[in-house]
Amino acid sequence: MSAVLSTDGKTANGFRRLDGAFVYLRTMALFVLAWYVGSLFVPSKLLLPSPLAVAVALRDTALNGELFGNALISLARLAASVVGAAAIAVPLGLLMGRSRLWNDLLELPVEMLRPIAGIAWIPLALYLFGIGHRLPLFIMFYTAFFPLLIGTAAGAATVDKRLIAAARTMGLSSPRIMWRVIVPAALPAILVSARLAVAASWTAVVAAELVGAPNGLGYAIEYYRSMLSTPTVMAFIVTIGLLGFLTDKGLRLLSRALTPWARTGAAR
Amino acid sequence: MSAPKIRLEAVSKSFDASVVVEKLSLDVRDGEFLAIVGPSGCGKTTVLNMLAGLEKPSSGAMTLNGRPIEGPGAERGVMFQDYALFPWRTVRGNVEFGLVYGPAGQALSPAQRAERVERTIEMVGLKGSQDKYPHQLSGGMRQRVALARLMASEPEILLMDEPLAALDAQTRVILQDELLRIWGQDRPASERRTVVFITHAIDEAVFLADRVAVLSSHPGRLKQIVDIDLPRPRGDETRRSGAFARLSQSIWELIREEAYRATMN
Repeated sequence: MSAVLSTDGKTANGFRRLDGAFVYLRTMALFVLAWYVGSLFVPSKLLLPSPLAVAVALRDTALNGELFGNALISLARLAASVVGAAAIAVPLGLLMGRSRLWNDLLELPVEMLRPIAGIAWIPLALYLFGIGHRLPLFIMFYTAFFPLLIGTAAGAATVDKRLIAAARTMGLSSPRIMWRVIVPAALPAILVSARLAVAASWTAVVAAELVGAPNGLGYAIEYYRSMLSTPTVMAFIVTIGLLGFLTDKGLRLLSRALTPWARTGAAR
Repeated sequence: MSAPKIRLEAVSKSFDASVVVEKLSLDVRDGEFLAIVGPSGCGKTTVLNMLAGLEKPSSGAMTLNGRPIEGPGAERGVMFQDYALFPWRTVRGNVEFGLVYGPAGQALSPAQRAERVERTIEMVGLKGSQDKYPHQLSGGMRQRVALARLMASEPEILLMDEPLAALDAQTRVILQDELLRIWGQDRPASERRTVVFITHAIDEAVFLADRVAVLSSHPGRLKQIVDIDLPRPRGDETRRSGAFARLSQSIWELIREEAYRATMN
């Protein structure tokens, strides 16, 4: 009985997913069409190349390996800096969310640093790190850090008190309660903040690589701008959009797999 | 008569300016099923939270086996009114929680733990639902998970806060019977666990308990302790008996006036 129900559910889901894909395609098609018509009215191909020219540039950069090479470098930098930021921000956020002392200690510096955009540090970082891997890594780390810290702290602070009380009456020690109750209860909030951190880091990757890196998607955009090759610039922009979309999709799937109980919020 | 299992001596509790419980003195005997009833606002839940060690009394003394109660402990298991199940753990994950991460299962091997968890799940009638999450269960089933989680750790004392309040009438009757069976009403009194059971339902208190402590409200004070001398094991005959109706009626008369006042205000 339940097997039949779940099969039916899956089929219905499959159809809905197809519908969703169709909506995406239709919207994209409309957008590309509007772009094409627009490009007919702009006389200079330098200002607005047609989607066709961009598609050709995409194909060429893909074939000569430039696209994947630069995308891979940017992706690796993004992953390294977000993972690094999470390794520090999540434990710190848990402490801030659960301990008055830590919250009082960290709140002021955090609230003062948080409004400063990561890219504002680029000039200083240029002096400190020069051009290379370290500058974009630093900028993206900084950008990912605060959404993760604030999201984790908020998630940890709002854990259902009754669940903690239940664990206490079962005689669990405080470290065990942190690890077995607070962390899983805050996990949906942590995963949402991870999505925000990754999205913010994608916006920072371009700015940081534009100035401070010898390779990567941001660097490629700047390079082809100086070559006056707008179609190639657009090809890299499209690639960033696509990668941003795909990483978010991946994180959503990860959330769903890690928190099957959370039917709203993070899992959707 | 043996020393009491739990003793409350002139226990008071106030939050800010309002006195919730005032000078409550009460003994809970070893192996007895004690029900606490009273109109809303009598501080029933506060009394239970203090016994659980989750709240401290403002004044007075509370002892367990002669030693003061200073915080929560695994020897006192609690079943919360709204179940407080861990939503990220399956039925099995919830039931085994105290055994795996608390002191209750320290002496057991993993195989013994698993065996006890499966046995407890079977006992509350949840066999086949071990791998479901709480949000996939009905209210009655969640109730059973909470009961199984409480029973799996085999605490000396069971503290239960309106555990059957959220259920429909039929499920409630069935779970009352099951609760008595699990508590051990078929066994000799010396082998039973000690239960403190909070409820607002007088008939439920009379059906389940050896003694019913009736509280008055605003502030919560002990009004009277009523001995329930209905024979055990109890079942549907008990519910139909004249003695059952008379006891329920007499307790109702004790709190009727206040219950009306609470409802009308």
